[in-house]
Amino acid sequence: MNEAEARLVVEITFRTLWVCGAALVTALAIGIPIGIALGGRRFAGRSLVVSTVNAGMGAPPVVVGLGCSILFSRSGLLGGLGLIYSQTGMIIAQTLIAVPLVIGITLAAVGSLDEEWDLQVRTLGIRRIFRLWLLVRQIRMGLLAAVIAALGGILSEVGASSMVGGNLLGKTRVLTTAIMMETNMGNFERAGGLALILIGLTFLIAGLLTAVQQSGRTR
Amino acid sequence: MPFVSNSGTTACLDDRARVRGTPLRKAAATIAIASLLGLFAQASARAEASEPALILATTTSLRDSGLLDALLPDFTEQTGIEVQIIAVGTGAALRMGREGNADILITHAPSAEQELIEAGVVRRRTPFMQNFFVIAGPVEDPADIASAASPVDALRRIATSKANWVSRSDDSGTHKRETSLFEAAGIAADADWKGFDRTGSGMGLSLRVAGEHRAYILSDIGTFLAFQKRIDLVVLSKSADSLRNVYSILQLDASRFERPLASDAADSLERFLTRAEIQNRIAHYGEERFGRPLFTPLHPHPQSAGEGGHVEQASPP
Amino acid sequence: MTTPPTPRPHRIALAAKGLRVQRGQGSSRFTLDVAALDLRAGEVLVILGPNGAGKSTLLRALAGLESSADPHSIQGGSGPVTLVFQRPAAFAGSAQHNVRVALLGKGLTEADRSDRIARALTRFDIAHLADQEARTLSGGEMRRLALARAFVLEPEVLLLDEPFDDLDAEGQRQLSLDLQRAITETDVAVAMVTHDLRRALLLADRIAVLMRGKLVQQGPREEVLQRPNSREIARTVGMTNLAEGRVVRREEEIYWVEISDGLEVPTRAKLEIGRDAWIGIRPEHLKIDIGRGDGRPIGKAEVESLVSDGLATVVTLRTRDRMFSTHLLSGRGLARRLRSGDAVSLAVRPEHVHARLID
Repeated sequence: MNEAEARLVVEITFRTLWVCGAALVTALAIGIPIGIALGGRRFAGRSLVVSTVNAGMGAPPVVVGLGCSILFSRSGLLGGLGLIYSQTGMIIAQTLIAVPLVIGITLAAVGSLDEEWDLQVRTLGIRRIFRLWLLVRQIRMGLLAAVIAALGGILSEVGASSMVGGNLLGKTRVLTTAIMMETNMGNFERAGGLALILIGLTFLIAGLLTAVQQSGRTR
Repeated sequence: MPFVSNSGTTACLDDRARVRGTPLRKAAATIAIASLLGLFAQASARAEASEPALILATTTSLRDSGLLDALLPDFTEQTGIEVQIIAVGTGAALRMGREGNADILITHAPSAEQELIEAGVVRRRTPFMQNFFVIAGPVEDPADIASAASPVDALRRIATSKANWVSRSDDSGTHKRETSLFEAAGIAADADWKGFDRTGSGMGLSLRVAGEHRAYILSDIGTFLAFQKRIDLVVLSKSADSLRNVYSILQLDASRFERPLASDAADSLERFLTRAEIQNRIAHYGEERFGRPLFTPLHPHPQSAGEGGHVEQASPP
Repeated sequence: MTTPPTPRPHRIALAAKGLRVQRGQGSSRFTLDVAALDLRAGEVLVILGPNGAGKSTLLRALAGLESSADPHSIQGGSGPVTLVFQRPAAFAGSAQHNVRVALLGKGLTEADRSDRIARALTRFDIAHLADQEARTLSGGEMRRLALARAFVLEPEVLLLDEPFDDLDAEGQRQLSLDLQRAITETDVAVAMVTHDLRRALLLADRIAVLMRGKLVQQGPREEVLQRPNSREIARTVGMTNLAEGRVVRREEEIYWVEISDGLEVPTRAKLEIGRDAWIGIRPEHLKIDIGRGDGRPIGKAEVESLVSDGLATVVTLRTRDRMFSTHLLSGRGLARRLRSGDAVSLAVRPEHVHARLID
């Protein structure tokens, strides 16, 4: 690999981290509060909402990608926003794929708390903001599972990223779309190299998160 | 049996809880899993059982045109040979040939094909049909290429005015043509300006990008016609030699590979595709869907003399 | 039996008036209806009642956790009201952290907090567990932690739901002592639900009896224990020797009630000759007559069984058509000599016999 190619690989890797990272953070910021809000209380239509979340978790990412590419295209409802074949568009698509996962797992984590948990906390006269903090601390491990699951889904996603991003060199090409492209071109060695980088990234991040998880356990 | 706990509540060992592990449930689960496995085994066995299979490696644009799906069922009916189509990028298809992972290739990248001939991988190349690439773009034609003298001139105008351009950049047949045109126009191979997009992807996706970005693009006619309505672009180039796109059948040299090639079946397919009757069908293919044919047959001389166009029954390997 | 503490007039820390709580739907609907209930500073109110009577619901309502209750039906002071649940929640973190969370956001300095936490932990003898992960504590240790957490709030009202659940006899005894001391030192008003009658009787200043959602009797401990209003209440407060009979004669202020062949029970209650009445005698007051003149003889019985828990022996006695029970101190005198099948005479002091006319 020459210098230009190496720089290209670095660029693609950093872009992957940026796009996937932004999608992950957004999905967590949206999904965790919703999961906590839904998990805690009983309300009319709750089972309907939970079923929708479960369906969303199982929705094929490529379907989300198709929907987004139709929406974002010139003739689509959001055409005027210039999202098609852009990094922002990719981030939105990946966020949509990850949010049901995050909500679902957070919901389960909150649901696993004792029914009386909220009452017990309230009876200590703890203010709302601290109750929230306590809740998050209590379901810390469950939330971590949500992060890992969402991360896995986002990093490995290729269909939606391809459809919404367009694999444009220097603009929207990420590791997964690049791997597919190199494979289609018959450059299996290059594809393999990119795949190794992707696997390496996944292991690194998963390893970090697991270390955090384990340290939480022994404290 | 009820028992009374410290706190005074009565509880019963739930007899129903034992049903979870009953033999009945376990048997049902085992049967379900066994049936699923059986189904899978059957399906894969059936897929392999239909011998003989001829592995044809070709490009996605040819497959997407639907020509093969229209012609090959008749070939199978007449000869009993099932054709397995592997459609990938041109580069991957040629690589399959290089490594002997296919029995026969159909590609449209003459210079790359020549390399394979010189390397001894391909023992015979038979061009059998052609069409023309097109340069498509927005109807507004900001670079005014409709009045260009030639395709090379059109590209020069696009480069000079730095108009939006989408390149597949994936070593496909289309991309290779684009590269040689660029060279002829004096444009650097790694040219880049704002509005120059490299997708590294197939024709369909690249056309869609061109449509969204109102860009010019070099495309094969078949895929372009299939996408035309959706992307709102028009053909702005005129047919010229530099845009000629020749499709060839490549026969591989079986002696180079460990894996036995279905060479007889491959020859049989070539005879079929070059038969006068089939060549005529190629001449009309696409009229129904697009109002014009997608390919022009080249009427090559049939490989074996035979009896005026009859196809010999291929003997099963 | 210890002598009852001298009743002190205390200020009311929490008063419930016309407290109504609705729970559940349709056939499983439950209504709690408490006309009036007071909790006084430094006093322990023990709430007794059968399962499903609504005791935990009442505690929750007093804690303000029942949304269906009218908030005006509970008038409290300005101090914190806290409830310790039957299964106290262990928050993720150390024991110390569990106590600390109760003090968050309440305008205390870090020094104040640490100080209060340390005192609370020491108060319940778990200072040595301060850094241990709360979720790994044993049942008994968690109970102590929950109490420390409650007391660190310096509450005005403390509500306890089965605080002695899951503890062995020694654990209960020790916790009971620590709790009593804490209550005295902080002057907190306590309402406690417990099934353990013995423990309840040791700690109670006042007793309230709840049945099917209604407060059927409340008052100072001795009054409720010695003079329950109905036989159902009597059983609930441990007056297990109950019988029906007829008032047959009177000697000065003592009425005699004949409850079966050969058994006549003296009582100081105001009855009428010839009327039906029921009587109740607490087990500890029913005596086996050994000629010491402790009480009036009431008839003969046969020893059915003796069951000892190391401290007290429960003797079940059989007469022709009913059973009685009495308590003896284990390992001493009578408890050691009695055998199943022995014939004994029973005696009781008239002031220990509770009686009511039956309409």
